[in-house]
Amino acid sequence: MSTSPLSTPANGGTSGPSPRGAWVRVRGYARDMTPPALALLVFLAAWETLGRLTDPILFAPPSRVWSGFLELLETGRMQRAFGITMNALSVSFLLSVVVGLPLGLVLGRWKLLSDVVEPYLDAIYATPRVVLVPLIILWFGVGYEGRVFLIWLGTFIPIVINTAIGVRNARRDLVEVATSFGADERQLARHVILPGSVPYIMAGLRIAMGRALVGVIVAEIFLDLTGLGGIIQTESAYFRTHRMLAAVLVIALLGTVLIGAFGWLEKRFAAWKESAASS
Amino acid sequence: MRYLKHLVFALVVFGAWEAGGRFGNPDVLPPFSAVVAAFVDILFGPLPAALLESLRLLVIGFSTALALGVFLGLIVGRYRWLDRTLSPYFSGLYALPTVALVPLVLIWFGFDLSGRVVVVFLASFFPILINVYQGARDTPPDLLEVARSFGVRHEWGLVRRVVIPAAVPFILAGVRLGIGRGVVGMAIAEVYLRLSGLGTLIATYGSSFQTAYLIAAILPLPFLGIVLTKLLALLERRFQVWST
Repeated sequence: MSTSPLSTPANGGTSGPSPRGAWVRVRGYARDMTPPALALLVFLAAWETLGRLTDPILFAPPSRVWSGFLELLETGRMQRAFGITMNALSVSFLLSVVVGLPLGLVLGRWKLLSDVVEPYLDAIYATPRVVLVPLIILWFGVGYEGRVFLIWLGTFIPIVINTAIGVRNARRDLVEVATSFGADERQLARHVILPGSVPYIMAGLRIAMGRALVGVIVAEIFLDLTGLGGIIQTESAYFRTHRMLAAVLVIALLGTVLIGAFGWLEKRFAAWKESAASS
Repeated sequence: MRYLKHLVFALVVFGAWEAGGRFGNPDVLPPFSAVVAAFVDILFGPLPAALLESLRLLVIGFSTALALGVFLGLIVGRYRWLDRTLSPYFSGLYALPTVALVPLVLIWFGFDLSGRVVVVFLASFFPILINVYQGARDTPPDLLEVARSFGVRHEWGLVRRVVIPAAVPFILAGVRLGIGRGVVGMAIAEVYLRLSGLGTLIATYGSSFQTAYLIAAILPLPFLGIVLTKLLALLERRFQVWST
């Protein structure tokens, strides 16, 4: 019982690519990337021209946005804001995982409980967090705790729901084998059910990361004017659109990287599931 | 008998809420009965007009997003170079929380209905667009080949007879995601850009510490989100049966 069949690494033993094959791949890649690169140049040029011809407050051109980014870097505001945003984001994401995984495991194993609890989770999940801001101010004030709570409230639910689905889809034959070898509920969860539900949990983490990112910006704009959301709000109030756009771009980049990373993890674990299921 | 467990659990939840409200500070957590009373009060007061105003915003913004999302999604999904050129921007804008763009929308479109509609549009457009173009891109090639060999020559014929029917499950999934995000966009627009509809009620009760009324005014939003999402999930299930 030391190695479960699900944890065997699937190694196809692929041979390294030949240099010729690599060259063909590079050329194909270059051909594939030419239209997007050209499109990006055209887009930036059009934006720059439009921004210079019209009011720079309306369409701050890329060169101004870049200088706005440098201004924010020089004063250290961007770094500070990034740190504040990342702090709230990671703390509430960790809290969501810590609460979401065990709760999802319990709900997945105990049908009666999940039947009665899930409607309430759905209702909380469907509530736009902006409208909860007045309530959160009453409960936690406008500080760090309020922000973490607002982010957490929308983030832990997809983890719970996806973990529960993954647990419910645990392969019945494996569960039976384990129980007939005398595994108790805790061993069953640790060696059979959790490994089997990893692909679902990964999908839940990706969705949760997207929700956490939305939550942190909502919290920083509506609850407590700090972090990257705070830069957006303050700078747009003074019509310094170029600095605001610099912060927007940083958030877009952050979101793409984080969600992309979790999407990549999800895909890896999905492949692991398929190879385990087919073997 | 099926509803007995829900009834029992609801009694536990709302009983605990009631008890917590009665023994605690009613400004922080008003008892459940006070929230119900407040809800009944606004139901025969300002709620219907506010809800109608919010729904009008949602319908205008969402239907624009649906029309443009399906149209552009089909085009981008049919051409590989367009897909490769534009999809990085789509994923970037999809990953970017809509709230982050709201101040910009305010500068571009102002406080009017148009600004609020743009916020709802931005919230629901990208999930629809991304699902439609993935659906159109992954049309089974054998179906396209069969259609071509049976004499469907024009692009529009292929799209109408093969691509759209094959993409229906994707389109519906996008619509379901889009309407959920549209409700969020509606709430953001009505709280941030200019107080209107349910946003007015929530902000007024929130700033005057009428917590029971505040919770009563929030309640229609999850209800709206759940009803719309469940309706679309039903529709999706119908079409899944139809497609297999």
